[in-house]
Amino acid sequence: MTQFSRRHMLAVMGASVAAPSVLRAQSSDPIRLGGMLPLSGPASIEGRQILSGVQFAIEEANAKGGVLGRRIELVMEDDESNSTKGVTAVRRLIEREKSPFIVGTYASAVAIAASKIAAEYKVAMLSGGSTAAGATDQNTPGDPWFFRSWPDSNAQGDDTARAIVEKFKKTRVAIIHDNTNYGVTLAAQVTRVVSGVGGTILSTDSYNAGEQDFSSMLTKLRSLRPEAVYIGGWAGDGANIVRQAVEAGIRTQFVGSGSMNSDDFIRLAGPASEGFAVASLYEPSTPNPVGKAFGERFRARHNLDANTLSALGFESMTIGIEALRRVGKPDGLEIQKMLKGGMKDFQLVQGPAGTTAAFNAKGSVDFPNFIAVVKDGKRRLDV
Amino acid sequence: MDLFLQYMANGVVIGSTYVLVAVGLTLIFGILGVVNFAHGEFYMIGGYAGIVAITVLKLPVLPAIAFVLLVAAVVGIAAEAILHKPMKNHDATSSIISSFGLAVALQNAALVVMGPQPQRLNLDVSKIPVLSSLPTDFGPVFLPQQRLLIPIATVLLIAILYVVLRYTWTGRGLRAMAQHATVARLCGVRVERVAIVTFITGAALAGTAGMLMSSVFFVYPIVGNMIALKAFTVVILGGMGNVAGAAVAGLLLGITESLTSAYISNAMRDVVGFVFVILVLLFRPQGLFGKAVERS
Repeated sequence: MTQFSRRHMLAVMGASVAAPSVLRAQSSDPIRLGGMLPLSGPASIEGRQILSGVQFAIEEANAKGGVLGRRIELVMEDDESNSTKGVTAVRRLIEREKSPFIVGTYASAVAIAASKIAAEYKVAMLSGGSTAAGATDQNTPGDPWFFRSWPDSNAQGDDTARAIVEKFKKTRVAIIHDNTNYGVTLAAQVTRVVSGVGGTILSTDSYNAGEQDFSSMLTKLRSLRPEAVYIGGWAGDGANIVRQAVEAGIRTQFVGSGSMNSDDFIRLAGPASEGFAVASLYEPSTPNPVGKAFGERFRARHNLDANTLSALGFESMTIGIEALRRVGKPDGLEIQKMLKGGMKDFQLVQGPAGTTAAFNAKGSVDFPNFIAVVKDGKRRLDV
Repeated sequence: MDLFLQYMANGVVIGSTYVLVAVGLTLIFGILGVVNFAHGEFYMIGGYAGIVAITVLKLPVLPAIAFVLLVAAVVGIAAEAILHKPMKNHDATSSIISSFGLAVALQNAALVVMGPQPQRLNLDVSKIPVLSSLPTDFGPVFLPQQRLLIPIATVLLIAILYVVLRYTWTGRGLRAMAQHATVARLCGVRVERVAIVTFITGAALAGTAGMLMSSVFFVYPIVGNMIALKAFTVVILGGMGNVAGAAVAGLLLGITESLTSAYISNAMRDVVGFVFVILVLLFRPQGLFGKAVERS
């Protein structure tokens, strides 16, 4: 009896000592927010650039005291651009890390597979670079769980094609595209849009992705004297085509698909990339003051210019943190409701001045793409 | 007509690389009976070696070529030790499968060391003494010096190879091996050395092609896949093991591709070569320039 009471006493004493710290732990432990990106494998270069933006968003939020009075800790999962890995990553972030929303991912196929799982758990995802229309089209209209704070790939193709005729005033257009789904879809879209706004398609040539020699195709193209050439395909092939076109003596306005919005493209194409035009969501020289300020802060921190990828990583994480702050508790369903309708006043770094996180019924934000033009080895919006 | 000549010139340039890669492939097959599916990777390594020599080590062109040849020699010796030495008494399928394995291993090694992004060799032709003084316009045909260098180098290398095969002791040994390995050994040919020399020669030719092309095109880890397929096309067209046949067939394939993409459709260019191969295999299995030999 004495023994029991002594143990009992000890337990009570122990509990009374421990209890306050348990209570305190709930409010001051860091809140864990999940992200998934391809950090290894084929898209790892892109993944790491997006990650730098995500990390920057967290650093800035923590410098301002975190969210809900708690410090933020980033939990990253590597999906390797693989749908199976992506699904596992989402489950882990929700079940183990209790992440109230997830930022991810870059590859659209992975984003589609992962966001289906996240929706089952009632956790919203904010795109980590996926731009394919398919990712937001699979959302139930009015009840999206996959959010992308920029326009989809269809809008990007439309804006690019329209710019050839309306911005550059070129009506005789030749199209070169690769034989992948990406290239073929874009070629059809550009043909439709350019013809619709009064342009003429002179020729359409295709190539196999990874093909090296374009000299004869370009020699033939030169004899057609196109005013503009649209290239739909991967950045490496595009750079190769632009370089060989200059060699073959083609002097014309080159316009590329969204994949060619990369510094690697400019590096590979060299001086041949001067004048090349490509759709862009963000450039450090953006006329959007919010975006410009972000670019300056990013540069001060990393001594490196922000780009489309780091901007969108920053954007998705910042929107998520802000939605969490407005909801006031880490509740997935409430955060989704907030994203659906409550963020219309939140200004974005991407897009033109005044763009806000006004997600439409499908979970996408609509704004016109910039058309950036390469000048002195840099993409610029003011030419 | 003006354009026709330009298309022909484009075809000769691209065909010249096919020749360089295919001649090595056909030598290795003709002399050692090894079907080397890692041959495209020799090309890829040559391209990367050229980039390392010129961009990283900042070597002038000639030492850079020497560096590429040195790397190719090392690769050739290693490939012989993997694909031929332990396999020579086995069925031919063993070396085919191990050459596939070697190709995958080399591609992944390149992916880890050099990264997935395409790279290019910035060859400043104005610093190369003879080349920079060459013209770039030949009537209606325009060829930048980087491109002009490729057929020139091909002719030089094939000429050297011809002289070596024809007049040197090593060359005689190689040819003897190709005719009959056992008799060659009985006549005092050092079979092991011949095998190594063959692999080095093949790797050096493909590596030089890789280096030359990396100043015109890009290099990336899987660039060798398509080149190897083209080289096999050329080897089959020219007759397995036939060096002169490979040289002619390589040029023919390059010109055919160029004309196809000019007059039919660029999407068809890769198809045409393979259709030829199927037709040749059906109707003239010894190749366009091969002799039909009855095996006893």
